[in-house]
Amino acid sequence: MSQSFTLRANERGNEKILSTGPTASYVGGHPDAFVTRRSSFNFHDYQSGRPGFGKIRVFGDETFNHPGCSYSMHRHHNFIIAAFVLSGTLTHLNTLGDNDELKAGDFYAFSAGSGGLHEELNLHAEPMQAIYLWMLPNQLLAPPSFQMGHFDRVASMNRITPLLGDQAGAIPVPQDARVSRLVSDAPNTFVYRPRSPAHGVYAFVLEGEMRCDGTLLGTRDSRGVWAADEIVCQTGASETDVLFVETVLQ
Amino acid sequence: MTTDALKVWLCLGCGFSYDEAMGLPEHGIAAGTRWADIPEDWCCPDCGTPKSRFEMVEIGYAAGQPSLALAA
Repeated sequence: MSQSFTLRANERGNEKILSTGPTASYVGGHPDAFVTRRSSFNFHDYQSGRPGFGKIRVFGDETFNHPGCSYSMHRHHNFIIAAFVLSGTLTHLNTLGDNDELKAGDFYAFSAGSGGLHEELNLHAEPMQAIYLWMLPNQLLAPPSFQMGHFDRVASMNRITPLLGDQAGAIPVPQDARVSRLVSDAPNTFVYRPRSPAHGVYAFVLEGEMRCDGTLLGTRDSRGVWAADEIVCQTGASETDVLFVETVLQ
Repeated sequence: MTTDALKVWLCLGCGFSYDEAMGLPEHGIAAGTRWADIPEDWCCPDCGTPKSRFEMVEIGYAAGQPSLALAA
């Protein structure tokens, strides 16, 4: 018997993190810059949002406002951190890679492992919007890695397209998890089949409307489904853009 | 004094991992120091996240990584 939850857009955690005051060393770009974060998953008692889903511990819908808005250079270990840029320009400085500029459709996966530093920065007046996803690794202190990719929405139209994971064309991550994206331009039915009964899927509607496993979702609504052989998704008439995050559970 | 296996604790702010078996000698925490015996006002040495925002994890080390912790 399949199990599920629905998380509506306005039920997500809601934070505004200023570049002044107590968070001044966390968020750069003072005095006007601020980050807004709507969290589907975060560390629950520690930050707002649900506790997590399988190996996915953070899923945040973030906007960097005002030129200079940034997460100041900081160190990570262990977590696999992915960012999917939706709009604007993310300048990403990373000790494992070059200094890169990511625009809409670009994404990166940074497996911090035994350690690396990075900084995320919006240099421009146009807000930068990105989905941030953190997952637990399957090993501690593994060799760190950093890779970038690009989602071509035109070439990928009406096809669930792998972005992260072990499928062809995806950036590999050291975890039994995968992220795919679907853009549909007309009413269509898509079936997502989890890898096994031990895997669950979290579908997040970036834009548009989709009936997912029987529940109608609008922009920034989401649904988690597990113990299901397949998840039937029906997209609406206008352009629909969805992220699917699959993870082993436990 | 518990005889449970020594554990690893992960900082939820940044992913820094504290291994009870290894301690943090450079920060004055001897090898073998249990999480419960670290002062409550201790913070992550990498990001300042409070001790209360760490989580115990049972994830094995990658090959070649030093680990004095016995396998569970």
